[in-house]
Amino acid sequence: MPEFIVKHKKFLILFILFLILFWLITYQVNAGRLTFMEKPVLAVSGFFERVITSPFRFLESAANGYVFLIHTERENGRLKEESGQLKLENSITNELLIENERLRELLGFSKLHPPASVMVQVIAKESSPSSRTITINKGADDGIQKDMAVIAPAGVVGRVHAVLSGTAKVILLTDPGSTLAVRVQRNREEGLLEGKIITCALKYVSYYADIQEGDLLVTSGLDGIYPKGLPVATVTKVTRHEASAFQTVVAEPAVRFSRLEEALVLRK
Amino acid sequence: MKPRIYLIILLLIIPVQASLFSALSLGGIKPDLALAVIYIIGLLTGPGEAALAGIGIGLVQDIGSASFIGLNGFTRGLIGLFAGLFGKRVLDISSPSNFILLAAFSLAEGLFNALFMQAFYGYVPIFSMFFTNMLPQALYTGVLGILLLRFISNRNVLSTLRRHAFQKEL
Repeated sequence: MPEFIVKHKKFLILFILFLILFWLITYQVNAGRLTFMEKPVLAVSGFFERVITSPFRFLESAANGYVFLIHTERENGRLKEESGQLKLENSITNELLIENERLRELLGFSKLHPPASVMVQVIAKESSPSSRTITINKGADDGIQKDMAVIAPAGVVGRVHAVLSGTAKVILLTDPGSTLAVRVQRNREEGLLEGKIITCALKYVSYYADIQEGDLLVTSGLDGIYPKGLPVATVTKVTRHEASAFQTVVAEPAVRFSRLEEALVLRK
Repeated sequence: MKPRIYLIILLLIIPVQASLFSALSLGGIKPDLALAVIYIIGLLTGPGEAALAGIGIGLVQDIGSASFIGLNGFTRGLIGLFAGLFGKRVLDISSPSNFILLAAFSLAEGLFNALFMQAFYGYVPIFSMFFTNMLPQALYTGVLGILLLRFISNRNVLSTLRRHAFQKEL
């Protein structure tokens, strides 16, 4: 027996290591993900990510500034037209907002305060087989804190998971650790949206709930992280199982994460 | 391989994969640099060292990507172990079959992770993930692995990485 141990010492150590790792995984399934050594690793990787991406960003801005000037005139015309349209829409929206505030006041509701935001750039996209995260170029020095909402023009991106002085890690909607309270825009049906690596799924939706393909899911504001009414995802598949009290609802995020370059972090 | 090479790999694997390789993304699919590196370590060194390297790189990835700590360490350690075993007995560093084996490892890891998520988190769209995510990434990683192997087949690079006991014949 001792001879066997001596002969296969290396593989026995490896076997024990694999057992420890397996135990660690199963432990986290019940107790939640561990954040052991997260800050030092993020500090090192964040530093190198900024160093690596800075020449690319410089080249990109140079290219946008000089090489693509040929499209500027056409782009300018289009933007002027769009700006006029948006000004018109903005004045209508402002009227509605004032009316809404007045009516809220009459009903005794509290005033709505749109949250302040910080513009950030995505400097890295990590896609581990069991998680989906991005790194942004601003952190605690710019007032970013854990659990702040991150959004893009198309909708919700995710929430801040870990913050360092100059960078922060954001958990995307599709990460399995991400859960947010949503509402079907059409009929105000509520649910919890959970990340499923490439898509999202609504959790615990009653068999009888009226949810259809194409329905837009918006934030309900009940989780205390995301403001109410932001677009989150579109329902792509609804499956009802005879034997189950719930239906399976799959939704596609409104934001295309593979093309995400800038985002807004909403301050609390 | 020399400890300082492992240190460089551990320091740079996340930033290079997350930032530089984002530029290589095709339709959201990126090649898996860490997997290709572990596979190559397996071919160059042997099962024991490659498994340890796989566990180390996987753990750093787990911590850096807010994932389950140990999941990548576990799967990548196993990949290092098997790559080392295959590399010792079957494979040649310049063989094109490395493409198939690396793609197969990537696919097996993707399936394992998807089944793990399915088991512990309920519904995961495994079928659509297989065709839209796992398979393209496996092929892309295979191509990256072949390119990296071509690069290190250069005698100067290989001699830098060399560890006399496990050096394979070119």
